[in-house]
Parts: sequence; structure tokens; C-alpha cells
Amino acid sequence: MGRSQRIGLIVAAVIVAVVAIVVLSGGDDDSSDNGGTATTTSAGGKTVPAEVPTIVIKDGEPVGGVQDLEVDKGDTLEFRVKSDADHEIHLHGYDVAKDVAAGGSVTYKLTADIDGIFEIEIEDLKQQIAELTVNP
Amino acid sequence: MRKGIAALGVALGGSMLLPGAAAAHGLVGRTDLPIPEWLFGWAAAIVLIVSFLALAVLWPKPKLEGTEPRRLVPIPAPVVIDFVCGAIGVVALCVLVWSGLTGEQTPSGNFASIFVFVIFWVGFVFVSAIFGDFFKAFNPWRAIGRGVAGLAKLARGGELPAPLPYPDWLGRWPAAVGIFGFAFQELAASEGNMPKHVAVAVLVYSALTFIGMALYGIDRWIERGEAFSVYFNLFSRLSPFEWRRDAIWLRKPLSGLTKLEPYAGTVPLLAVMIGSVTFDGGAEGEPWVSIAPDLSNFFQDHIGLSPESALAITYTIGLLAAVLIVYGFYRLGIAGARTVGGEFDSPYLASAFVHSLVPIAFVYVAAHYFTFLLNEGQRIWPALSDPDGTNFENWGVDYTIIGATATWYWQVAFVITGHVCALMLAHDRALVLYRDAKAAVRSQYWMLGIMVGFTSLALWLLSQSNQ
Repeated sequence: MGRSQRIGLIVAAVIVAVVAIVVLSGGDDDSSDNGGTATTTSAGGKTVPAEVPTIVIKDGEPVGGVQDLEVDKGDTLEFRVKSDADHEIHLHGYDVAKDVAAGGSVTYKLTADIDGIFEIEIEDLKQQIAELTVNP
Repeated sequence: MRKGIAALGVALGGSMLLPGAAAAHGLVGRTDLPIPEWLFGWAAAIVLIVSFLALAVLWPKPKLEGTEPRRLVPIPAPVVIDFVCGAIGVVALCVLVWSGLTGEQTPSGNFASIFVFVIFWVGFVFVSAIFGDFFKAFNPWRAIGRGVAGLAKLARGGELPAPLPYPDWLGRWPAAVGIFGFAFQELAASEGNMPKHVAVAVLVYSALTFIGMALYGIDRWIERGEAFSVYFNLFSRLSPFEWRRDAIWLRKPLSGLTKLEPYAGTVPLLAVMIGSVTFDGGAEGEPWVSIAPDLSNFFQDHIGLSPESALAITYTIGLLAAVLIVYGFYRLGIAGARTVGGEFDSPYLASAFVHSLVPIAFVYVAAHYFTFLLNEGQRIWPALSDPDGTNFENWGVDYTIIGATATWYWQVAFVITGHVCALMLAHDRALVLYRDAKAAVRSQYWMLGIMVGFTSLALWLLSQSNQ
């Protein structure tokens, strides 16, 4: 390979590096902004207890489709499951199972100490009712 | 692992309970978070920078091709070791079939499903890539074949008739079909990871393997036709250790791949390997989650299939499409490389460079299934003492051993390392192939295009949110 070709390639690499740093550092600002907003929300959540998200089960299915729950790692995760029939509700990964009686409800409250994406399902029907995202 | 199918079930109206959906998350308790945008950007930038620098500074004379391994340690009593390892393999196979057929029918609570999908399919890939081709010694089909052949020789009181010559056109095609079959079982078949179905699939595959060995000879079939021997052997060529009959030899890492024989069917095999992981990752997000319900409904409404069959066919089509896209993309790059001169035709070039796809295939598996192995693999310990899952409800998994952030860095590190290894292998091969140094460099622009394509796809798959 010619000398000039080598230099050309190295220049190309440097250009990519510079562009990446400029563009992505800009991106970093955005993401830290997002992070800021997220913190404010959760801080707000601590002072004024937010409404507990509730998943309603009707005829063995979640009303309105599979629900999304999202918390940051270390925060308190709280949700309620209401059901029209007796079921066992299983939060995967954390491996917590609780029974809900027909017409009643059950509340989950725990510290979200494992990050990742987890399923919450009606154990006896193997029907997913919610997806829990725990951000790091 | 086929998590999207659960979401799909909901998308399809939710009213029908998909049995596939039940099995889908049977083995996965925790799914990785997609890599964040900023990390995706950085990783992509590093890939490009590394690629340009590699082209500029990589060695001018081959460094991997033509290197010879050196003897490291002798293996004491190779016959005994071969026998013991083979026996362990046969026992594992029997336990697997027994627990699958008679045990608890929960994928995460039965030795059969856990061993096949987590330890064998993923764990053995890592072990092969690090320590070399250990599977050959433990291969239960090889052990049984040799045992039966030995007995037959005794009974006949002489040599067995010679096997048929292995046809050149067959090459590694049986392995490509076998690996596709495994991917089908894992990703597309209705309830494919239910222990019973796993055991039946193992029995069917064993029968086919015995037929292959009877026709073409044990060693030949193991070397080219038996899907898992071929699969693990490909990955073992990344390792610095080469296992020979009576000694372990040390070779330059990656140099084992330069000796990959260009049998027919090798390019399709690599396409199946990369394509199936691509489908597993891609099926969790767009565009697949938009296409699949329509496709599945079409099979139900217009052809009258049951929801399970319609879904299985839909997923098989998706899997096949992913494999064909990977194959097509590679052949496209090769067609480009052909234009630089050197009088090689496309099929020749395709098989001359296919060994450079092996590190890429490895990092696809590594990045995609790393946490799956670390987390769900923990179940193998209780499963070993309780293979049929009598007490499976108490098999806990500690999901905190690797956090989401660490996972992201591992995944990106795997992908970038694979990219660099692939570039080095392709570069080394080009130096041997082209007498004209300029043509070698020009061919590498095309190879670089292929590698960047596969690496970007890997990063994109990791960044896919499965919402």
C-alpha cells in the first residue's frame, strides 16, 4: 500500500473520531438532560405519593394489553393487580408470587434492586400482564 | 430468546392464548436492556476508526496463514480418556432423554431444556472458543458409533465393509441443515423448548446421525455432517489450543481458522449461524413485530391453519429470511471483491474468505446470549442433582451477578473484538491470495464493507428495544 494511501486512511480515522466526539458529546448533553428530568420526576414521586399503577385482569387477560412499568434501579417498585378471578401473579426475575382472590386485589411493594426487563404474568395461565423495566 | 412471541400474542388480539408464548419465556427470567443510543454511537464510531486504522497499519506479510502449532503437553493414556469422556457424553444423552420424556414439563425446571438450550447451545460455544475442540471427545454419537462398530467387528470376526465415499457436493450441507433445524426448534417450533419436545428432537437427530455415520463412516460424518461437531469445531478454531490424539498443541489464536477446509456448504452454514441469532434478536422489535401478525393471520384466515401452526410457519419464514439476508449480503460483498481483479470467481472467493465470518458468528452468540448463560445457566447445578425437576420450584437464580451497565460494555466489547479478528483474518488471507499487493488492498475495501455491515447489524440488534 502506498504511503499516501496509509496517510489518507489515518486521516479518515481521525476525522471519524473528531466527528464522533463532537456529535456524541452533544448527544451526551441531551441524555444528561433526560436524566435530569427523570430524577425530578422520581424526586416528585417521593414527596407526593403517586398513584399506584394498577393492572386489571378480566377474563384471564390484562385490560388494555400488556402494561409497561418502569422504575430506576434502587427505587421502590409498587403496583397493584386487580382480578375478576383467583390467580397467582408471578413477577419473574425477582421471583415473587402472590395470590389474588376473585374480585380482590394484591399490592406488590419492593425495592427494584435488579436491573433488566422482567415479565409479570398470571402463573396458572402463563399469560403475561405487564413488562417491568428497571433502568440502571 | 423468542421473547417477541409473547408480545406478538398480545398484538394478535390477546384473546387466543399462544402455547408458544408460554414456552417462550419459560427459560428467560430476565431480559437485557437495549444498549443506549450514546453507547451505540460510540461503538459504531470505534468500529469505523478501528477499520480505517487496520487497513492503514495491518501487517504487509501474512502472520496467521501457514503458521504451525507446537506441542504443548502430552495427553496421558489417550484411549482411556477418550473412553471416559465418550461414556460421560452417552450418560448425559440418556439422562437428557429420560428427564425430558418423564420429568417436569417446565422448560426452566427440567435438565433436558436447560442443558440443551443454555449449556450445550451457548455454554459449549464459549468453552470451544476458549479451550478448543473438547466436544469431539464427549460427543455421545461418536462414542456410540465407535462402540457399535467395535462390537460389530467382534461379531463378524473381521473388518467391516468400507463406508461410501463422502460426496464432495455434500460438504458441510448436512451441518447447515442441522443447525437450521436447531434454530427452528428453539425459535419457531410451537413449544419447541418443552422438555418432551426437546427429548424427541434429540432422539430423531440421534437416529439421523447414526444413519449418516453408517453410510459415510463415523469420522467422516463427525467431521463434515454432524451439525454440532462441525459447529463447535468452527468455534474451537478461535482457540489457541489444538487437541490431537495424544497431545495438546499450542497455535496462534485465530490461526486454526486459516486451515478451515473449503468444503461445499460452509458459506450457508455460517449464514445460518449468523442469521439465526439475527432473527432471535430482530424478532423482538420492528420491522418483524409489524409483519408477523399479518403473516400469521394470512395463514390462519386464507389457508385455515391453527394459530399454533400459523405462528410456527410465520417464524420459520422469518428465520429463513434472516439467513438469506445474511447470505445475500456476504455474497454481494464478495461480488464486489471479485471486481478488483485476480481472476478468481465469486464462489471461490466466497469460500476463501468465509473463515473470517467465524469470529463474527462467535460474537453474535456471545453478545446476544452472554447474560442468558450467566443467569439461566445457574439452573444447571440444581438440575444435575434433580434432572427431572421434582423440586424445580426451589431452583433459584441470582440475577444480580451482572448488572445492565456491565452487560452493555461486555456486549459492545465482544462485537468490536469480533470485528477486529474478522478484519485480521480477511487481511491475512488476501495477502496469500493476491500476488498483486494493490489488488489485495482493494479487495479489502469490500471485505471491510461486509464486516462493517455485520458489525453494525450486531450493534443495531443489541440496541433494539423489545417494547
